[in-house]
Amino acid sequence: MKPAAYKKNQKKLFMLLLLALLVTAAYLTIGVQFDNPKLFRYAMKIRIPKAAAMLITAISIGGASIVFQSIINNTIVTPCLLGMNSLYTLIHTAVVFAAGSGSILAVNANLAFAADLVLMGITATAVYGYLFRKTKHNILYVLLVGTVLSSFFSSIQSAMTRIMDPNEYDALLASLTASFSSINSEILLFALLLMIILTFVLRKELALLDVLTLGKDQAVNLGVDYDRCIRRLLLGVTLFIAIATAMVGPISFLGLIIANLARQFLKTYRHSQLIWGSALFGMVILIGGQLMVERVYSYSIPVSVFITIGGGLYFLYLLLTRRRVSSCL
Amino acid sequence: MFVKDLIKKYDGKTVVDSVSFQLPEKSVISMIGPNGAGKSTVLNILSRLIARDSGVVDFQGTDITKWKSRELSKRLAILTQQNNIQMKLTVRELVAFGRFPYSGSRITPEDDAVIDRAISYMELDDFRDRFIDELSGGQRQRAYIAMVIAQDTEYILLDEPTNNLDIYHATNMMKIVRRLCDELGKTVILVLHEINYAAFYSDYICAFAEGRIVKFGTVKEVMTRENLSRIYGVDFEIMEVSGKPLSIYY
Amino acid sequence: MKKYSSTIVLAVCLLILSACSLFVGVIDVEAGDLLTGDLKSLEIFLISRLPRLLAILCTGAGMSTAGLIMQQLCQNKFVSPTTGATISSAQLGILIALLFMPSSTLGSRAVFAFLAAVLGTWIFVWFIQRIPFKDAVMVPLVGIMFGNVIGGITNYLAYKYEMTQTLSTWLVGHFSAVLRGRYEIVYLTAPLILLAFLFANHFNIVGMGKDFSRNLGVPYNLVLFMGLTIAAMITASIVVVVGSISYIGLVVPNIVSMFKGDKIRGTLADTALFGALFVLVCDLIGRTVIAPYELPIELIVGILGSLLFILLLFHRLRHGRKAPKIQWPLLKGGAR
Repeated sequence: MKPAAYKKNQKKLFMLLLLALLVTAAYLTIGVQFDNPKLFRYAMKIRIPKAAAMLITAISIGGASIVFQSIINNTIVTPCLLGMNSLYTLIHTAVVFAAGSGSILAVNANLAFAADLVLMGITATAVYGYLFRKTKHNILYVLLVGTVLSSFFSSIQSAMTRIMDPNEYDALLASLTASFSSINSEILLFALLLMIILTFVLRKELALLDVLTLGKDQAVNLGVDYDRCIRRLLLGVTLFIAIATAMVGPISFLGLIIANLARQFLKTYRHSQLIWGSALFGMVILIGGQLMVERVYSYSIPVSVFITIGGGLYFLYLLLTRRRVSSCL
Repeated sequence: MFVKDLIKKYDGKTVVDSVSFQLPEKSVISMIGPNGAGKSTVLNILSRLIARDSGVVDFQGTDITKWKSRELSKRLAILTQQNNIQMKLTVRELVAFGRFPYSGSRITPEDDAVIDRAISYMELDDFRDRFIDELSGGQRQRAYIAMVIAQDTEYILLDEPTNNLDIYHATNMMKIVRRLCDELGKTVILVLHEINYAAFYSDYICAFAEGRIVKFGTVKEVMTRENLSRIYGVDFEIMEVSGKPLSIYY
Repeated sequence: MKKYSSTIVLAVCLLILSACSLFVGVIDVEAGDLLTGDLKSLEIFLISRLPRLLAILCTGAGMSTAGLIMQQLCQNKFVSPTTGATISSAQLGILIALLFMPSSTLGSRAVFAFLAAVLGTWIFVWFIQRIPFKDAVMVPLVGIMFGNVIGGITNYLAYKYEMTQTLSTWLVGHFSAVLRGRYEIVYLTAPLILLAFLFANHFNIVGMGKDFSRNLGVPYNLVLFMGLTIAAMITASIVVVVGSISYIGLVVPNIVSMFKGDKIRGTLADTALFGALFVLVCDLIGRTVIAPYELPIELIVGILGSLLFILLLFHRLRHGRKAPKIQWPLLKGGAR
């Protein structure tokens, strides 16, 4: 027996899916000349990988943010706000730094990505596990330390890039970090495969998410192997963030926006629905934003700038309106 | 269920000091004592929420840490004080989580029946589709008890269930505890601050002070002037009201 | 005399390191050459080395003083030009100056930076005073996000008018562009620090609260906004010349107050000296790591400063609101 609210949400999700499809279709076709097959093929060759990368990013960040929020039982924190994406960028730079810019790791995107993922999994779980233990899950401290960590990681990354090649600093930096204007489409297939594998490996833990929302005590009471479950999910979150960052570069506030939009829109605890809602919102915002940037601003302003301004304001709004922000540890 | 030589230390300070006892079945057992006496810690160790430093906690012939968590959760339930949920969850959805140890996330028709019975038992029928965060403290506490009932365990552990409730709701809570034992045949172990609730509604009292058990026995055995004065360090008078010993302290 | 011993030690260290700093660089300049009157050496010395040293000293002393003032006035240990939107506002001001007056001089850019920094800081403080915060950590969090939003707007304008290249000069602070004739605005910090010293007691009183200061006959709003204005102007005059320098205003006053308490008169000199020392050390590191190139000061300060700040936060979490004056708490925290 499924309650009425569940069915209503399914309907809402369906509408959202339609909207996402519509935006994607618009992105792929607006301004394309259908009567000229050569131009059409050329346009598709550029736009399809871009759209695919944005879809993967939306799902990765949407899913990871919802899962992360449920793990730490707070809806104002997302992995990117705590600097997980800066950490990934740092790791990627460090890998190229250690291997040398002429090495196979610098040339073969998939190989470098694999090395990054392994390092990211180890480092991120260690760093953030330590952060949660040390702050005793005091959410405001977690947030503040995370924000500072974020700038710590990017300072090191920037310094490393300069040390590698002080003359060609800007060019090197651009080639090291992906962005919306230079999407890393080489690893598309690898990323997609990885997402499917991860979801499969973590399927049992993902099914436990609803129970984890009740808090540690209740989850243990209901027979969940809490610590192991959290460890595995946290590892999954870091890898999903790595995928998104590797593809389109760091976009800190996207997760916050879409996860909270999904929660407000669906008003449910069911994670199967929340994750999809968040991912679909991500698709609409990312692809819709990119469409707007390309058509209205003729590429001059990256979509991440808009997301930063909007996300920052949204974060302030959430922080100041939630009375219980510090009591929900 | 029995406990032997239980020890727990925090930062070198011993909060539970060689505690041993045997729990009588199908009865209400209250743990009382001043703040920091270690009663909540013992309760949490009994329910595997906190790891002990040494000692034995035997539950139905197997050590509590050797149990498979899922199996244990069909036999023993714990309700702690802190239950703040940020998620939008209705009463019925919360109670449905009690069936998780049996059916995982897929609720069967039998589960639905158990859930509805638990809700009715707690007289929450009118609130079943209300969100948890919209309820009053007493209603929310009842919803959690309903979840524990749906969990259908032989043992129920409650950590200060009357905390933050007014006299009306607290008394109702104690009556519910009594019914859980008398009508449903559960063994209920609870931590209480209010001595007279313990005296009036439980079968046995386990009195703690400074990490040790001072006295464990029937209500009549524990509720004496000497015992209570020793535990709390203030003067007590014991009166008899409808056949139960009640205390007055000043 | 014991009261001043820390000040004297800091001053001596600063003098020695300053002397070292003068003789570190791509082209070797020897003390002997200067004395014998070698013209080329003297020229390098006067055009590049000395201005650089002076800029460093002004920056370190200025940023940490600005941080100290802001922390005193807001009664929050975590307010600073970085966490109070002052730096990002100043950058926005500079960008606006460049947009409206493409041929603007350093002076007119500075005016815009002043205005924007002062306005941004006022708005931020006005804002946080309106909201009763239960937790002190909330304030820097709001400030950082506020700064992020302003930074986002700056970015937006920069992209829209194709000024990102120009903007990057002010985003990452560095001393390599400090040459004679192009940095003198930074001297403004010296009189401003002096002014802060004169009004130190007023800031202390205002920090105790509105009623407290009214009781003592100190005009609360006037002193509050004057203090914030001084802090914002110090920050802006540094940002215009050097670019963004984060965390000094946050970390330095906190470290000094751990050892010397919160009486502003007693800590201001130490804070300024320690700040200058901190920046000087960071600059020496930045210049030697990849010589003959140099790392921008902001990167070194960013790495060291953020690390120190995190340690401070952990320390505070462990030991509570009152930062206890225990021996070398940071070393203890760092060793774990």
